[in-house]
Amino acid sequence: MKALVIIKGREAAAKLCSAARKNADEVVLVVIGDTPLPGAVADKTLHIALPTGSVYDDAADTIKAIYDAETPDFVYLEATRSLKVITGKLAAHANTSAIVDVLELADDVASNRYFGGIGQRSLKATGAKIYTISVSDLPDGAASGTDLVEEASWVAPEKPLELVETRPIEKSGTDLFKAETVISVGRGFAEEAQLELAYALRDKLGAGLGCTRPLTEGVDWLPRDIYIGVTGLQLAPTTYIAIGISGQMQHMVGCNRATTLLAINKDKNAPIFKQCDVGLIGDIKEVLPALIEAL
Amino acid sequence: MKIVVSFKVVPDDQDIQIAGDGSLDYSKAHQVVSSYDLNAIEAAAQLAASNDASLVGMSVGKAAIDDSKLKKNVLARGVDELFMTADDACADMDAYSTASALASLLTKIDSYDLIICGDGSADNYAQQVDVQLAAKLDLPVVSSVTRLSVENGVLKAERTLEDVVEVVRVALPAVVSVTPDAALPRIPGMKDIVSAGKKPSDVSAAVAAYTSGIEVLDCRAPKQAERRGEIIDLSEDGAVARFAAAIKAAQ
Repeated sequence: MKALVIIKGREAAAKLCSAARKNADEVVLVVIGDTPLPGAVADKTLHIALPTGSVYDDAADTIKAIYDAETPDFVYLEATRSLKVITGKLAAHANTSAIVDVLELADDVASNRYFGGIGQRSLKATGAKIYTISVSDLPDGAASGTDLVEEASWVAPEKPLELVETRPIEKSGTDLFKAETVISVGRGFAEEAQLELAYALRDKLGAGLGCTRPLTEGVDWLPRDIYIGVTGLQLAPTTYIAIGISGQMQHMVGCNRATTLLAINKDKNAPIFKQCDVGLIGDIKEVLPALIEAL
Repeated sequence: MKIVVSFKVVPDDQDIQIAGDGSLDYSKAHQVVSSYDLNAIEAAAQLAASNDASLVGMSVGKAAIDDSKLKKNVLARGVDELFMTADDACADMDAYSTASALASLLTKIDSYDLIICGDGSADNYAQQVDVQLAAKLDLPVVSSVTRLSVENGVLKAERTLEDVVEVVRVALPAVVSVTPDAALPRIPGMKDIVSAGKKPSDVSAAVAAYTSGIEVLDCRAPKQAERRGEIIDLSEDGAVARFAAAIKAAQ
C-alpha cells in the first residue's frame, strides 16, 4: 500500500506520516512552500516551491499531477483551511468526496463528527480514499523514512488567486489545545464586568480560558477563537471547569473528553450537574471570590 | 451584477435528541437553514445592496425542503428569487454529488458573477461543497472569507486562516465561502416576511440520480465518560474548600 501525505505545518508531518505508515509500506510526503522540511519521516518528500504572490491553495494543480503520477492507495491531508481547498479540488479530480476531520481510521472505516459532535459517523469511501485529519486529533508518533527530497515541478493554475497582502493574526492568549486546565464561562455571567472574576481564577490556576457560543456571538464579550462547542473548539484537557454553563449538548461536545470535569452553577437543575465529576451549586458572585481565596 | 447564495436545509441541531440506543432522533427538530448559511445569505445581501446587484438563493435537498415557511424566511433576508431542487434523490448527498446537483440547478439561472457559500454545514461541516462546486464549474474559489468587495468585475477578499489573514484578488465569476464573521444575520421584520411571500421561487425535482462516494455505516452519539456526579451546595459547611480540593486533586 502506498500513502500520499500532504501537510502544511511541520508538527503535522511526523504525526500524519506515522499514522499513514500503519497502513502503508510506502509513504510519500508533500510539503508546500517555506514550511521547514521535516527530517526522515517518509520514504520520499516532494517539495512544492510556491511562486511569489501565490496562495497555498493554488498548489492544487501540482498536487493533482503528483496524485496522478504516484497513484497512492490513500491520501491524508492535514485539516487546515488552505489544505481543505486542495482536498476538495483533489477529490473533485478523483470524481469523489473526501472524508474530512477523521477521528479514527481502521480497516478503511473512518469516523468523524456529525452535527458538531452530537453524533459520530462511521464512513467508508467507495471511490478514491482521501481523508483530512486534524493534528490535534492525532497522538504523537515515531515516523520513519529517509531524507530524500525531490522538487516537484509547478503546475500553474488556470485561474490563480492573486495574493495582495498577508498579515499575521494576533492570538488571544493561551493555546487551549495545550492547556492542561481550562476554565470556561457561559451565560451565568450576567454582565461583562463579572468576567474579571473568571480572569482572576484563570490566573490563579494558570489555566486557559474558553467560553460558550453566546458569549462570543451573542454579546461579543470574548473572541470567537476561544469558543468551545459545536463548530468551535473541541478539547480534551486534564481539568475542565465550567462556570455559569448550563450543560447543553451543543457546548458539552467541546469538553466532554476532559479527564475531570467540574462545574459551578446557581441552578441546581442545570443539566451540567448530571455530566460532571464535581459540581458546586452557588452564585458565581459568591463562589468565585471565595474559591480564588481557597486555592 | 447577479449574485447567487447557496444554502443547505438541515434539522435544527438545538432540537436533536439522543435516543436510548444512541442513535440521533430528529423527530422534534424542524427543518432550518443551516446556521452559518444565514451568515452567508446576509453577506450576500449586503454585497448585493452595495453593488446594486440582484440576489438569487439556491438549495438542493430532500423533498421536505420545499417548505413555505422556510422559503419565506430566506426570501425575507434580501434574497430576490429562489431556486430549489427538492427531491428525496437529493437527501444526504456528499459534497461531490451536491456540487453536481447545484451545477444542474445553476443552468436555470441565465448568468451569474459570484456564488457565495457558508463556511460549513451544521451536519457535516466538511467545508467541501464550495470547492467542489467551483471545480465542477471551472471557476476559482476563495474560502474562509471574512470581508469582501467587488470593483470593476474583480473580487477583493480578506480570508482569515489559522494563523494569517490573506488579502486576495480574483476576476469574476468566482465562488467564495464566507465565515460567520463576514456578516451577522438580520432578523426579518413583518414587512420583509409579507413581501417575501410575493417573490418568485422555482422548485423542481432532481434531473439526475446521484450516488455518494461515501457510504455511511453507522451514526450514533459518542459514548460519554463515566462521571462521579458529586454535587456540593454552597450552603454546606466547607463547600468551597471541598471544591477547591477537588480542583487541586484533578490538576
